[in-house]
Amino acid sequence: MPEIIIKFNDKVIERVVTEKKRISVGRTKDNDIVLENRGVSRKHAQIEFNNDAAVVIDNESLNGTFVNNRRVSEELLRDNDSITIGKYCLEYHQNINSPDTVNQLDGTMVLKTKQQKKLMENDKIDRRIVSRVGGSVIVGLDNTDISQYRLDREVTTLGKAKFVHIRARGFMLSGIQAKIVKDGDVYSVVNLGRKGKIKVNGEFIDRAQLKNGDILQIGKSTFRFIEER
Amino acid sequence: MRVAILSDVHANLEALKATVQDIEKQNVEKIHFLGDAVGYGADPNACLKLINNICDIKLLGNHDYVALGLQNPLYFNQMARESILWTQQTLKRKSIEIMSDFEMEETFLDYHLVHATPENPQDWNYLLTVDDAQINFKSFPQDFCFIGHSHIPVIFCLKPDGGVVVINETRHEAIPGCRYIINVGSVGQPRDGNKDACYLIANTDDNSFEFRRVSYDLEKAQKKMEKANLPKFLISRLASGQ
Repeated sequence: MPEIIIKFNDKVIERVVTEKKRISVGRTKDNDIVLENRGVSRKHAQIEFNNDAAVVIDNESLNGTFVNNRRVSEELLRDNDSITIGKYCLEYHQNINSPDTVNQLDGTMVLKTKQQKKLMENDKIDRRIVSRVGGSVIVGLDNTDISQYRLDREVTTLGKAKFVHIRARGFMLSGIQAKIVKDGDVYSVVNLGRKGKIKVNGEFIDRAQLKNGDILQIGKSTFRFIEER
Repeated sequence: MRVAILSDVHANLEALKATVQDIEKQNVEKIHFLGDAVGYGADPNACLKLINNICDIKLLGNHDYVALGLQNPLYFNQMARESILWTQQTLKRKSIEIMSDFEMEETFLDYHLVHATPENPQDWNYLLTVDDAQINFKSFPQDFCFIGHSHIPVIFCLKPDGGVVVINETRHEAIPGCRYIINVGSVGQPRDGNKDACYLIANTDDNSFEFRRVSYDLEKAQKKMEKANLPKFLISRLASGQ
């Protein structure tokens, strides 16, 4: 059965599988997948399934339907294709073998869960912060002296040394434990110090590209990355 | 207490090893390093390992800072840039980890230690003249500041009347009431016309300072640089000490 993973700001908010031949996506409640967002038209698009094939069809929506960042009117979907509608991303997976772990799409799915509401609220707060600071920022969440730090340098240093841009705390942390490198609009965090001291979204990393909303842990200090969009 | 203070090794392992052998005969209790372990020379990893093992205080220099990818090497001259790009490619993960724990400035008893200038350590300015020294004496509270960076050993003395003089002595005993900025010279790439490695022994008991010069296997260091295809001028300048 095909699976659709619905993401908002790179965060998974729903995973659905369906046996339907056609599902509709739009803002009004008579759609199979309801996306409550101004950028989504009332009857925005539909996805049709035929055996192992799937096609997304845009219903002449105002803001368009995009497959892998390319605007389409009708497009044959390949496994792992990414459909963008408004602020949402619908990731298409041709076949999954264990549908027990996800929701069966047997009625209308209104994406207005608590998690999504929280994401929307956070998104508003993030936009206010970015607008006030004037660029992508690191927000201090826990065990840090900073509330917000604008990432306007080519390289921002983080660690326990007095001279780094953002101080972090923790046992056996290196003086310059990490650097955040800005390359155009892309931000990456690189571990320079001892291994096993940096996590992004809970995973130990040595180097990782930062995405909006990522949680960065350096030793005991926790930060959130907010990207200017 | 006798303390050895060295700076600007610049990946010259032969000069560093000879310097360490000389230090071993000097009855010192501590060794402090003022930065620029890497850049120019052919042995960045071995030099960092040795410095990390023997030195108590370890500071970052501008070449180390750029080697860590913390600053764009665009402000370096072409040869320094070429050699630092080679260094970045040559550095092992462990070497990066060693440098990530180096400090920007430190204090030790009545000594202030920094690579470039106490006024703005991270601006990597040069402290070369009496006027430069006059400004920088206001930036540290201790009586003694030790620096590197220019590769030229020199003593600046701030007299009680506020005047600054240069003292050209290989051994000097501090005059009570005076304050000092002392450039300890360079181990790996001296530029004062003397090709021998240079470092300083400081005695905290009588506040005396002695510059030491150590000859080393310069040809071996040059051959390694040739093999690494490092810029020719950087190789030849070792022999002239310029």
